[in-house]
Formats: sequence, C-alpha cells, structure tokens
Amino acid sequence: MADARLIDATQAAHAPRCRQVALDLARRLPAALVAAKEIAASLMHGVHGRRRAGVGETFWQFRPFASGEAAQNIDWRRSARDDRLYVREREWEAAHTLWLWMDLSPSMGFVSDLAREPKVDRALSLGLAAADLLVRGGERVGLLGLSRAFATRDIVDRLGEVLAVEAGRDIERAELPPAVALGPRMRAILIGDFLIEPKLFAERLSTIAARGASGHMVVIADPVEETFPFAGHVELVDSDSPATLRLGRAESWRADYEARLARHRAEIFDIARAHNFSVLVHRTDRPASEALIALRARLEEGGAQGLRA
Amino acid sequence: MTGGLFSLPLAFAAPLALLGLLSLPVIWLLIRVTPPRPRRLPFPPLKIILDSARKDETPARTPWWLLLLRLALATLACLAFAGPIWNPPAASTGGAAPLLIVLDDGWAAAPTWESRVAFAIGAAESAGRRGAAVAVAAVSDGAREIAPTDASRAIESLRAKQPQPIEPPRAAVAPAIENFATRNKDARVLWLADGLEQGGARAFAEKLSALFGSSLEIASDAHRPRGLAGPRNEAQGLVVRVLRAGAGAPDGMARALDLKGLMLAEAPFSFGAGDEAEAKIVLPVELRNEVARLEIRGERSAGAVALLDERWKRRRVGLASGASADVAQPLLAPNYYVSRALAPYADVRQARPGSTDPIGALLDDGVDMLIVSDMAIAPGETHDRIAKFIENGGALVRFAGTRLAGANDDLTPVRLRRTGRVLGGALSWETPKKLSPFDDKSPFSGLRIPDDVTVSRQVLAEPEPGLAARTWAQLADQTPLVTAEKRGKGLLVLFHITADTTWSNLPISGLFPEMLRKVATLAGSSADVAPAEQDIANDEPRQKIETLSPQRMLDGFGAFVSPPATARAIAANFQGPASLDHPPGFYGPADSAIAINALEPEAKLVAADFSGVAARRVEIEQARAIDLRAPLMAAAFLLLLADALASLWLSGGLPRLGARRATTALLLLGLLSSAPFDGAPRFLAPARAQQKPTAKPQPAPSRRDMDAALSTRLAYVVTGDARVDETSRAGLVSLTQTLSQRTALSPGEPVGVDPQRDELAFYPMIYWPVVATRPQPGALATQKIAAYMKQGGTVIFDTRDALNARAGSSTPEGDWLRRMLEGVDVPELELTPRDHVVTKTFYLIDNFVGRSANGQTWIEALPPEPADGEARPARSGDSVSPIIIVSNDLAAGWAGDRYGEPLFPLTPGGPRQREMALRGGVNLVMYTLTGNYKADQVHVRDLLNRLGH
Repeated sequence: MADARLIDATQAAHAPRCRQVALDLARRLPAALVAAKEIAASLMHGVHGRRRAGVGETFWQFRPFASGEAAQNIDWRRSARDDRLYVREREWEAAHTLWLWMDLSPSMGFVSDLAREPKVDRALSLGLAAADLLVRGGERVGLLGLSRAFATRDIVDRLGEVLAVEAGRDIERAELPPAVALGPRMRAILIGDFLIEPKLFAERLSTIAARGASGHMVVIADPVEETFPFAGHVELVDSDSPATLRLGRAESWRADYEARLARHRAEIFDIARAHNFSVLVHRTDRPASEALIALRARLEEGGAQGLRA
Repeated sequence: MTGGLFSLPLAFAAPLALLGLLSLPVIWLLIRVTPPRPRRLPFPPLKIILDSARKDETPARTPWWLLLLRLALATLACLAFAGPIWNPPAASTGGAAPLLIVLDDGWAAAPTWESRVAFAIGAAESAGRRGAAVAVAAVSDGAREIAPTDASRAIESLRAKQPQPIEPPRAAVAPAIENFATRNKDARVLWLADGLEQGGARAFAEKLSALFGSSLEIASDAHRPRGLAGPRNEAQGLVVRVLRAGAGAPDGMARALDLKGLMLAEAPFSFGAGDEAEAKIVLPVELRNEVARLEIRGERSAGAVALLDERWKRRRVGLASGASADVAQPLLAPNYYVSRALAPYADVRQARPGSTDPIGALLDDGVDMLIVSDMAIAPGETHDRIAKFIENGGALVRFAGTRLAGANDDLTPVRLRRTGRVLGGALSWETPKKLSPFDDKSPFSGLRIPDDVTVSRQVLAEPEPGLAARTWAQLADQTPLVTAEKRGKGLLVLFHITADTTWSNLPISGLFPEMLRKVATLAGSSADVAPAEQDIANDEPRQKIETLSPQRMLDGFGAFVSPPATARAIAANFQGPASLDHPPGFYGPADSAIAINALEPEAKLVAADFSGVAARRVEIEQARAIDLRAPLMAAAFLLLLADALASLWLSGGLPRLGARRATTALLLLGLLSSAPFDGAPRFLAPARAQQKPTAKPQPAPSRRDMDAALSTRLAYVVTGDARVDETSRAGLVSLTQTLSQRTALSPGEPVGVDPQRDELAFYPMIYWPVVATRPQPGALATQKIAAYMKQGGTVIFDTRDALNARAGSSTPEGDWLRRMLEGVDVPELELTPRDHVVTKTFYLIDNFVGRSANGQTWIEALPPEPADGEARPARSGDSVSPIIIVSNDLAAGWAGDRYGEPLFPLTPGGPRQREMALRGGVNLVMYTLTGNYKADQVHVRDLLNRLGH
C-alpha cells in the first residue's frame, strides 16, 4: 500500500530548492519563442525579431522610398548605388508577456512514495524552467499578481527571490490564481493541482481572461491521486480543510473515486478550453522534462490540444 | 503446588490461574471485531469527492497474525500467573522421623558448596513439609550438641554455613552424632560427603551406618577436588605438586600470584594416568620472590592454594675469590663447593673470570649475599662499596685462606690473629679438631654434625669481649669456626676455614650446604635478622618471638580473609597440618610471615570408598528447580512490544516515527555545525572575547553590523560636535564618490561610529577628527580602539590644528590626543618619509593636504633601510600602519557639495589643493586596503625580468 505525506510548512521556501533543478531543466531545451500567430502590438520592445519589418535594431530589408515619407528614412548609402531611393527597414522586434502562476497551497505539498518529489517542487521547477526558456527566447515573464514582468537573464533567480519572499509571508495560500484581469493577448501559464470547485475556478478564470488573455494550464497530479492504491482501513484527511473520511475498505472504493476524479477533471478542462486555455496533465512520477517539452511545444505552437504529458 | 504435568517435570504454583485460559475465545472474539486504528493519510483530492462519498465505516477485520500475536500474549500471561516451575523438587518419602543432615565442610566441599547447601536445604524443606524435625551438623562443629529443630531454622543455619579451610575433622563430630542417635532412634541421616578419604571418611561412614542402619543416605557429587601441596623453589622455577582424588578431575593451569593478588605467571599441569602432577612455573628470580600464593585456576578451595613465605624465596648470591686459576681445575677452585651447596636454594652468580673488578660487577648485579673466599679486601673503592652494601642490608660471607690470614682488613666480624693455626700437620702435636655441637643461640642450632668433619687449619680470632656472642660455630676446643656480626642492616659472616677442602673437609660434608642455606635465609630478610643479631650482640637469649599471631587467613574457598576469632597464634617452629585453631594463612609480622598451608607438603588425596557400607547413595543434583514465571513474563512483555509496533505499523505510524527521527538528527547536526560559527566572532574580536567569558551568548548582530559587513565602507568617529561630525560625513561622502569614480573600489555609504558602542571590526579605516572640547572616550572605547588597531585596522586621527600649531608648543587637540592614546599601544611613529608606500598606493603624492596644506603626517616608523640595499622607489613595513596622525583637517578638504564644489575655503586655496586632498584620501584608503602590495608592485619589472631568465 502506498504511503503519502504532506511536506512541512517550514519547508515552504521552495524556490531556492527548485532553482537549480529548474535551471538544469531549462538548459536542456532550446530557447522558446511564443508563437507569433496572432501578433499584436505589445507596447514592450523585445529582443527577438518577428520576421517582419517593424521597430527594432536589426536590419530587415531595403524597400523603395515611397513619396510622402520622411526624408530622414532614406538610406543614403544604399541609395547612392543606383538611381532609386531606398529606405532601410528594420525587423520588428516585440516581446510577449507571459504571466506565471504556481499553486503554493498546502495541498501541493503532497507527496507519496510513488512520486519523485512533492507536487509543489515539480510545479516550481516547471514554472521556473519555462520562465528561463521564455526569457532566453526574448519574452518577458512575470509572476501573476506578485511581480512585474522581467526579461532579465537571471529570471530564475529573480522570480525565485519573489517566491521566497512570498513563501516567507505567513498567509493562507489560495488554491486559485489571483483575480488579475490580464491585458489582451497576454498569456498565462497556470500550474497547480486544480483540486477546486469547478464553479469557483470558472469564475476566476473568466476574470483573468476577461480582456482576452489566453494561456496554458498544467495540472500536476501525484500518482496516488490518480490511482488510489489504498487498501484496508484508512482515514483520509484533507490538506486544506479539516475534513476527514474514514474508509473501512479503501480498495472497494477505488472505482468510484476514479470515476469522480475523471468527472471533476472533465469539468475543469471544459472551463479551461472555454477560456482558450490549453490543458496539460502531468504526474509527478514522470520526469519533469517531459512536461516541459510538452509545455514548450504548446507555447511555440499556440496551443495544441493534447492532454497528457 | 501440583505434581508433574503429564510426564514433564513441570508444576504450577497457582494452578487456578490456568482457568484464565478459558477466557481466550472471548478475547479472540473481542480482538477480531476491534481492528487496529486506521492509517491516517493526507489526501488533497478529498474535498472534491466528499460530496459523492458514501460513509463506509465497516472496518476491516483484524489481520490473522495480529490475532495470533495477541492470543499468544494472553496465553503467556495466564501461564505466567499460574507460577510454573520446571524441575520441581521431588517429594521425598519418609514419615515424620527427624532428619539429621551431616555436612562435610572441609575445603574439598568448597568448590560445589552452593549446590551442596541448596541440596541440603531442599532436603530440609521436604522434611519440613512432612512435618519432620531437622537437625544440622557440620563436621567442623566438633562435639557441639546436635538438637533437632524445625525445618525453617535448620534452613537458616544451613545458609549460614561456610566451608572451612581444613580437612574435615569427622572423628570430632562422631560423639555428638552418637548422642543424637541414642535420643532419636528412628532418625534418618543424610550425609553430604565431600568425596575424599581425608579425615577418615570410610570410618565415619561405617560409624554412621552402625548407628542408623539403613536410614543412612550418603550424598556426593561428581566434582573431584584437586589440591596443591609442597611448593618448592627450584633453580628453574617454582615447582608445586598438584593432587587429585581419583580420575575425573581435569588437567588445568596453576598460577602464581603476588601478595596483592596480581597474577604473575601461569603453568599447565597434566595428570596423565596418575593422581599427581607437577606444575612448574618459570619466572625470573626477582619476580619469583614476589610470589606469595600458588593456586589452581578455577578451583575455588583452600586446598587448591599454596602459600609461600620467606622460606621459599631464592636469594641471589654472588661468588668471588682471590684465587686466579679457578677455571682449569674446578674441584680445586675455592668456590666450587659453595656454588654446589647453594645452587638448589639460591641464584648463584660467579664473578666473571678475568674481570677487573669482580666484586663491583657482582654488586652491580644486585646480589643479596656476597661470598668472598680467601681474598683480602684492601681499603679502597671496592672496600667502601662492600661496606655500604652491608650497611644497606646485604650479607657478606667470607672464607678464610692464606691471603686473608696475611692481610688485615676490617671486614671481619672479629679481629684476627696474624697467623693461623695448623692442627695435625707435620709440625703440630695436635690432631685435627672436630666441631662442637651448635649452641642453641646459633642459627645453626638443630643441624646434625656428621662425625667425620674435621678441621685441620683455621685462622684464629683475637680473644676479646663479646667473641662468644659472635660465634655461631666453634671447634671442640672452643675456638670459633664461624663468627658473625651485624653491621648496619646487614650481616658479616666469617668462616675461619677455606671454602675448599685444603683446610677442612667441612665443605664436602652434608652439613656445609645446610649451614650455607641457614646463612642465606638470614641474609635477605634483614628485618628478621635484626632482633636476632641484636640478641647475639647483647648476649641475650635468642628466639624472643615465641609465637606468631595470625595475620591473613584463607577461608574455605581459598580467598584471603582477616583471621577468624577461633584462629590462634602458632609457635615460630610450628610444623604440622592446618587445623581449626591454626587455619591456613600467613602468621607473624607482615614482612617475615610464615605460611601455613591446608595441605602438607607430602600430602596425597585419596577418594573415599564407601563400598560395603549399608547406605543409600544419592547424587547431589545439579538441576535446580527453575521458576518459569520470569521468562514467561518477559516473553509476554516482548510480545506486547511487538504488538504495539504492529499496531503502529498498521496505522501507518512507523514512517512518521522515522521522519521524526530524521528531523531530530538534522536538528542535532545543525547544533553541531553551528558550533564553529560561535567561534567566528571570537576570532574577529579577540580582545573582546578575552574580557568577557565566552559562555555568555553573543548578541545577535545588529542591522547596522550586517550592513557594514556586507559592503566595505568608510567610517568616522562621531565626536558629538555636530559641526565636526557633519564635516566628517560630507568629507567621507565626497571621498567615497571619488573612490567609486576613479578606482575599482565602490564603498558603501559612510557611517559614523561610536567606539564605545559599535563593533569596529567591519571598517578598514576610521577617520577620527579630534575635538579638544569633547570629553575623553571611556575605558571600553579605548580598549576597543586598541583591539581594532591590533587586528589590522587603521585609525586616522586628524588634529585639525595645522593652522594654529607653532613649533615647540602643543595645541589643545594634540594634548587631547596624547591623553587619549595613553591607554593604547601605539607603535613608534615617524614623519611620513617621501618613499613611504602610502604616498604611492594610487597617486604619487608628497603630503596629505586637507583644508590646510602645511600640516605634517605621522605614521608608524618603517624598519630602517638596509645599508647596502639599492635605493628603492617605495618602502613599506610588514603590515599597514595602525595609526596615522594628520593635522590638515582632511575631511574639510574632501567635503564637497552635490556639484563637486568644495564646501570649505581651503588654505592656501585653489582647485588644485582640493584635488590633492582627494588624491591623498584615495591613497590613504588604498593603503589601508592593499597594504604593502604597491611596494612590491614597483619591483614587478625586475621580478619579470628575473623570471624571464
């Protein structure tokens, strides 16, 4: 029979612990670039080109001068070669802003002996690694409701510091992302176990996506939570509330549980897709790189709808 | 108590408790329906599924193995309460006839004494249960009357019995038993015999058989006693006879112990087929003389102990002679007969032939007795050494000869006539003389004188008073043959004849070794000799000590005890076996005690033979009744523990316990690893650690100290004068900015420090403007400043008086500073030389200017320049100067506003002066941070050149 525990509240300064893991993870993948399928004018300038002319520093192309343009746009050196006038265009460089949210609530501290690490560690490693990938690709990443978006090279450390400060605060941690209405075409990456009331989740997600933001959800699950490998006399205790459930024979209850969980997930996923969020389920007995590769693929493609990683 | 259960030797003291076993089915049912506590598991998805969960409270069954465990537990507890006994004492037959227990309590019974007494107690108990009276007679009780008592009192008296270190005197107890038999015709007798014939076992058995007929039981056990007898000190080692009574006693080890009980040596012995063996314990003589006790290892009885006293000690005897050709003709050598005579008793050392100082060499060997035959001892070093040797307790035995007769020295007990006397020679009328019987005052008294011993020549003693007292042996005509004198602690003996046969045939008689042995006995034990010799000298009767009182006795088990009340003193010449009155042990004064042993030297052990005696033979059982209650209870308790663990495991508590242990270990590890950090502040501030006991907990570092430790920053001392402090701050801010702009150093915001209160260790340099109107800093501040300077910090004192100073007079600031520095160990100072490294650390400057430019700068004096050395561009000491005294009001020179304009008017003035002030400041900071690095740096070209070669 599997055993499980919650990691201690004193171990909640997770970020420094996961920092190296995240860095190792991120360094294994090439930089990620958010798919520019529907490019919008973000006010922020990014460092990577958008493969089209625009505001930027790198040369993109010369095009013939159109009358009515400001004369200062003419590239005289090029124009001197022949009779026409040319304008030097630069590549449009813009950055996406992505908002990261990782669930730090007590339920994320759950770890069973089938899993490799607590859910919260996995969530942090994944989130920070994704942030590193994105920043290397030139995007700006921030923590939803906690920090502004950065594009610094040491993004993992910066976000880690913010998280450490956050972890040091003695507050009850919400199981839901903060109700911040993101700007249009911003993206959110929500990582958590999403073991919440579907109604509450729908409410919150609609707030976040109210102005047209979309994003990705990574559902972290412990293998025990999916397979329910208990048998015999067991008393289950909730991690966020004082609720308990005593089961005379846990093994006879497995089928019911699995059905109920599938239903709950279906509800959550439906809500997510309705708000244009992709969903990814990741189990902590699988390597984190698996989830990261899947997440990266989604980020680059703008949301394939596969479910499992 | 019930009888044996089925055929098992098992009985229960409280059989009713077994009814508790009937409750087992009930317990089984109860346990079956009461499962162990469920495992508690955290489960985050619980919340979302609670709504659909049906409460399933039907518990799982208790696992079968837990059921079994608990039932076993209950069964064991029931059995334990019933008081089970393994090997219950057999109920003996017989009516209420009184029982007489006769106990052999000699040494031979000691090794198995406990089982014997337990057996006797068992017999008494069973007699008591029958209601019979019990009488107890130990063999050593003697003729004491034997009265039957009730069993409990008999048991008490049995418990009080101890074995005696003697042969059981069975004959002595016989009359009392006879009396008992006449009074109790129907009595039954149980005799616990020790298995030895010693003490008339068979006769005693026949007597008992005659008195009591067939109601006699003789109990004996399988143990065959062993004994030690007749220890001898032979040339190679201690030899002792090991005895046993009949086959069955195993071979073993004999060991030698000293008086304190330390084991000195061990030797094996093997009986082979016989009943006697010899153990030979080989030891160096010095150690052999320490041996006080021989014993058989593992045999706990007085008979297995042989005590040794002075008589067994081997003396070390040195032989020297004046003759030269000793080796060629051994039979003519003067010492031949002496060494042959002494060899069995003493460790004889011959002087090496050809040795230049034979006597000296022998004395170096540490001999107890020196025998010098026919040798004159001339006054000189050897003479003095011998005299000292005698004074210190050695014995010198001299034999006469022609050399002695011709010489004259004082190492003789009596004065000698120059010429000897020849008896029965060609020129003499007289016949060789015989010896007269020994005087009873002489140590030789008691020795038999053979008839054929004659003396044909001797040296004569001058007749003088006291000669008779010094004479130990004399010829038939009263001329002394052996004379002796006590000198100091030692003894001087002169045989008036030669040691070989030229003057007398005494050396080849059997008397000679005896005499030498007696002398040797007296030689080593100076304390023993002292009174005796005193007696001789005072012409008083010898043998004043008639009796020797018991000192340390052996008990039956062979252990030393203080003398029992019954032990009596022995005569000095006591011979014979140990008895109750004279138990074995040491008698007499501690350093010359006489040992009495339980077994006589010639003793033999014979097994008792009771064949033909009409008696029932009983084995003394070794198997004792075992109370099974304790082991059963222990097993039940262990099961209880196992049950607790199992319950814990079932409810998932074990891993949690493990986790807690891990956190405890981590906590401990943390405590341990925090220990070095306690040491760090001590290292940083040694002076402080010295004044305060380290046991006092260090206060947590303040915010300010944390900041100061995290970034390098300049500091100034807050004097309390607001204007000066503001100037210092502004000056240092400017300097900090300049440093950040021009150098690799980016210091933090400057801070004002109070040496009284703040920790100074964090600042490389402290600027201290002197304000004469402020009070002197306290003693603590002075101490801290001194410590700071010792640790390598630099204090820049700025007297700011360059404009006021006049040559030859002092300023108030100068006086103030001088007073302050009285408590500080200030090194020798000098005016900054032009080639000092501080003028070259960043800029090349001449002087440190500030608001004024004419002040001088004092700095720790450099070591003098090497005379032959080439001129160097920069010089430095081994470390940074701890103190720099300036007078140019540097801070005011540095201070500038936001736009870099100077805050104060400078003297003589100009932008150049401010620039130079800042350059001086940069140099000072660089100097405190880099030390003499720059002085080495100026040589780098030379160094590189050298490396290139």
